[in-house]
Amino acid sequence: MGFIRLVLFGFLALSVVYLSISIYSRSVRREKLENAWAEENLGSTDMAARDVYVAEGIKAYNASFRPKLIGLVYIIPTIIVIAIVFVTNTN
Amino acid sequence: MHRIKVIFRVTVFLIAGLFLHYVLPQHDVVQISQAEPRRTDFGSFNRWFYAQADGGSVEMANRDIFYIFAEKKKTMLLGFVPRDAMETMVYRNEDTGWIWPPYFKFDSSNLHGQATVQARKSDTVEGGNWAVVTHYGWRIPFLSIFPNAVSLKPVDGPDVRIIPWFNIFFFVFLIVGIAFIRAMWNQFRERTVDPILDSAEHRYDEASAEIAEQKGRVSRWFGTWRKKS
Repeated sequence: MGFIRLVLFGFLALSVVYLSISIYSRSVRREKLENAWAEENLGSTDMAARDVYVAEGIKAYNASFRPKLIGLVYIIPTIIVIAIVFVTNTN
Repeated sequence: MHRIKVIFRVTVFLIAGLFLHYVLPQHDVVQISQAEPRRTDFGSFNRWFYAQADGGSVEMANRDIFYIFAEKKKTMLLGFVPRDAMETMVYRNEDTGWIWPPYFKFDSSNLHGQATVQARKSDTVEGGNWAVVTHYGWRIPFLSIFPNAVSLKPVDGPDVRIIPWFNIFFFVFLIVGIAFIRAMWNQFRERTVDPILDSAEHRYDEASAEIAEQKGRVSRWFGTWRKKS
């Protein structure tokens, strides 16, 4: 019973962490893309071209390996819990 | 206002510090004299400071709990400075189970066995009967609250060097985590909240400009009623 509760609430808590980190990571990437575009097209006000550039960059980011690394948010705590169970209960 | 802020911060810091002091593992250098189970009837307040029944058992209003009686080397400054004095310390020895605090301890009976063996050792034998007990919690006699022993390791003598690896990693992780949350919050504010506020402010400015203009019209109309001097 306690184990089920741990898995359930642990999963919920880690999902909150996972979602916030992926939103943060995408937001940082978007900002970088905007800055890169602004540097390449100094003084330009062609917002449509900028939006296309940023959207493409985000698409490439979504397809890349980096966002999948955020999945470690689920894996590392699981490994830590298993390690603590092992260390605590063996003498 | 500034003083209230300071008081608020100190309170939060103090509560967090007490919480961590209760929950994080600490190490005592001890000589165990006895280990025994004792029926324990919880009060409504000190119930908080006990764990639940063993991993596979049913929860009852009261139960037998293993206790470990020991002579402990006194320390200063959260255990960092050893002293040449002994004090009596009593530990409870309960499963923490899957819940809280997350020590995932299920071997309280094994630990009881170890403590019994340790208590039988004499201090005149080679190596002596010294041991390091890892525990969390506080000993508060007037509320009958005991720290929970998590593990026990026989050592060669009272002068052992203990490096709290877990706590070191924990605090490093805590600092990194706080820095990360701050970075996330700043990004959220810069990219999401500020633009909304800016556009709201812009709209507010437009609206108030319109009101001012209308007011202007009305007062001009009133002005036509005033006596011309």
